[in-house]
Amino acid sequence: MSTVYTRRLSKELAEIQTETKPPIGIRLLKADDFETWIFEIEVLGDSLYRGERFGLKFRFDNSYPFSAPAVQFVVDSGMKAPVHPHVYTNGHICASILGDDWSPTLSVMAVCITIQSMLASCKRKELPEGNDTYVRTAPDNPKKTHFVYDDDTSPFPSNRV
Amino acid sequence: MKVTVKRWHAIAQWQWDIGRTDEHGDAEEDVCGICRVPFEGCCPTCKVPGDDCPLIWGECSHVFHMHCLLKWIGTVASKQQCPMDRRPWVTAERKVTTNGS
Repeated sequence: MSTVYTRRLSKELAEIQTETKPPIGIRLLKADDFETWIFEIEVLGDSLYRGERFGLKFRFDNSYPFSAPAVQFVVDSGMKAPVHPHVYTNGHICASILGDDWSPTLSVMAVCITIQSMLASCKRKELPEGNDTYVRTAPDNPKKTHFVYDDDTSPFPSNRV
Repeated sequence: MKVTVKRWHAIAQWQWDIGRTDEHGDAEEDVCGICRVPFEGCCPTCKVPGDDCPLIWGECSHVFHMHCLLKWIGTVASKQQCPMDRRPWVTAERKVTTNGS
């Protein structure tokens, strides 16, 4: 059955697969259903992440696009999250467009591009402050975390109970 | 029963007057930024395009299917802002042009 959110996602998928190919360094790895999509993100050119490849996982539900998808880096036996001041070692990302600044006019590809440029502009490879504490207590779904977008360099997450 | 359309004869066509001239109003551009369905179609929750699924204009000049925009404005996350420019959403009065019907 086709629902509002799957119709919008099918349009996005058609664009990604056929009409307008994703920008260089972004590759669709998996989109077998409308629940989970995985992209490969690579930062090309001069950056701290030269030669590294990351998996970016999207999880959707029927609130999309009125609510942001749940987006995180893939962390498993083969893949690691990038070392970045806004990325926790469990793959969770502190980025305002995935939370407070989400807009339904954004898209999956817009998120991929934002995350790619977040990596490209990184000046220092370091973990977010409080990474260990966060990772120990983080919910499975990063959307359940109430991130505080304090400034550009040091996010302070706290779990809303 | 199977119906085969052998021929049809169009007597009129309509489209929303979104205030764009042909120069800028490339047909491909004219989709609702929220659902990505053309303005001439209806929002994903409606079945038939037309007066029952109208467009809505903001004072910021952005246009959406009314149902899509109201659904967004109805969420807490929207902060009552236009999805395009994040300015507070103010519905614009539509200027009624005299040279149309």
